[in-house]
Amino acid sequence: RIMPVRWSRYNPSYLEPEVKKESYQKPLEELSEEEREQMELKAVRPIKAAPPTLSSSVFSDPMISKFTNMMMKSGNKVLARSLMSQTLEAIKRKQLEKYHKAPENEKETIECNPYVIFHQALKNCQPIIGLSNITRGGKTYQVPVPLTDNRKRFLAMKWLITECRENKHRRTMMPEKLSQELLLAFNNEGPVIKKKHVLHKMAEANRAYAHFRWW
Amino acid sequence: QLEHCCALHTAARGGLSSSSPQDVPAERPRAVFHTSESDPAKHTEQHEARLYNIPLEEVKAVFPHGLPYRFQQQIQTFNEARVMVRRPALELLAYLKGSSFAHPAVRYVIYGERGTGKTMTLCHVVHYCSRQGWLVLHIPDAHLWVKNCRELLQSSYNKDRLDQPLQASLWLKNFKTSNERFLQEIKTQKKYTWGKRESTEEGRPLGEVVEQGLARVRSASDAVGVLLREIKQQSQRGSFRLLVAVDGVNALWGQTSLRKEDKSPVSPEELTLVHNLRKMVRNDWSGGAIVTTLSQTGSLFKPSSAYTPHELLGKEGFDALDPFVPIPVANYSPREFESCYGYYLERKWLQHEKAHTEDGKAELQFLSGSNPRQLDRLAGPL
Repeated sequence: RIMPVRWSRYNPSYLEPEVKKESYQKPLEELSEEEREQMELKAVRPIKAAPPTLSSSVFSDPMISKFTNMMMKSGNKVLARSLMSQTLEAIKRKQLEKYHKAPENEKETIECNPYVIFHQALKNCQPIIGLSNITRGGKTYQVPVPLTDNRKRFLAMKWLITECRENKHRRTMMPEKLSQELLLAFNNEGPVIKKKHVLHKMAEANRAYAHFRWW
Repeated sequence: QLEHCCALHTAARGGLSSSSPQDVPAERPRAVFHTSESDPAKHTEQHEARLYNIPLEEVKAVFPHGLPYRFQQQIQTFNEARVMVRRPALELLAYLKGSSFAHPAVRYVIYGERGTGKTMTLCHVVHYCSRQGWLVLHIPDAHLWVKNCRELLQSSYNKDRLDQPLQASLWLKNFKTSNERFLQEIKTQKKYTWGKRESTEEGRPLGEVVEQGLARVRSASDAVGVLLREIKQQSQRGSFRLLVAVDGVNALWGQTSLRKEDKSPVSPEELTLVHNLRKMVRNDWSGGAIVTTLSQTGSLFKPSSAYTPHELLGKEGFDALDPFVPIPVANYSPREFESCYGYYLERKWLQHEKAHTEDGKAELQFLSGSNPRQLDRLAGPL
């Protein structure tokens, strides 16, 4: 039996499933023309099966799911998800302890929401410009090249995970390592930010080869 | 009254409540689900589903061991120890207040599904008894004594039995921190010889027995046995009240995962600590009470769906503990859930923006099934 892995084998007539609760709670009168047509179409056409990563929970976050998938090894999503939740809890605990010990005037500056810290840390780790290998006349040059949003996000997440897996003591737990790295990245410190700066410097140094790019 | 509480939660968090006159705000108004009554003796149905504060010094003195790990982490993060007053605990406290101590000790068995709050109910009762001045014999988890033991020594007192020096010395250390003054007051009634040169004379304070057990780790289990025996004999005289609080009592009658050197399995009867503890849990003494908890999470060779006394204790344990007063602990009632949710919001534990909305609260209630442990685990990353 052939299972579709990367490209969907659905008939083009199949529609995407609608998961958000709000769209079903709107009464009929408030819908505009297109939405009414869409509803009638849905009554007739078949609908694709919802993937397991798609959730109708108010607490689901696509970036967190992507990061969990990247942390997952050999399909063990249960372990990856529990590690992620332990990381978020560890970040929250550290920040709350700092918050309670801080004097009154500094309390507003301390950010306790682990989601805000996660998103900001990822944003701080994203490189603006990347390098790609282009071969001209037998020699390979590192050419500075603009990156798409997806590639930036992927690189930031990949660097964080490899940094935690490789450059730490063998016996430290992943949530501990990850929470430490995320907090450092949130404050624009730490080895991942350094790696981003090194990449930027290399791109700046190789400015001369920028015309090799043809796209 | 439920809608009244809900309206107060969402509208005014000013601590104004007509049902409890003693919660008049002192300096800063606390919300409806807190209570300023930190003495468990005065907790009544009015205080149900409210959280009371235990001062941190008292926590260190009364609970050197015995609190669940997640709760200890919570105490450290929030800088305060808040325990919810729930109906099973109130029931137990009422029984303890009304019991007569000339009669043999009554046994109470707290049972319930996983994560419903059995250990916290036990800790509430232990706090009450230590406030009343009872001698509290708190064994945090009997399952730790029947599994994962690295060193098993053959007991010098009885050739068939096996000693566990590490567990015994750890327990003695924690017992010393919680019951300092009793160790000076109670005197031994017999001479005990620990070896060729060491012995404890008659009439010495029990503190010396504990020191002996801590200093000579090899005889720690025997020291525990002597301690339990002395305390049991002397509580009948009535100079002090004794509370035996055992968490995970089904470990005493199940199977162990330990093996002897010839790889034959060890039955719990052959361990000195378990043997002495079984004698304590029998109701042939008076002047106190025995409060125990069943626990499936640490138990060996028991299915995870088992939670009733009969399933977890087995025939042997049930016959040994029979007759007992069963106290079921259930999941949170809607009022208790509101209380817990409000507490997490107040201490800024729920940081996710959606967690503050009605949708988030309904989702938390549905996902956790109002189970205290599941709610705690879910609220962690949020």
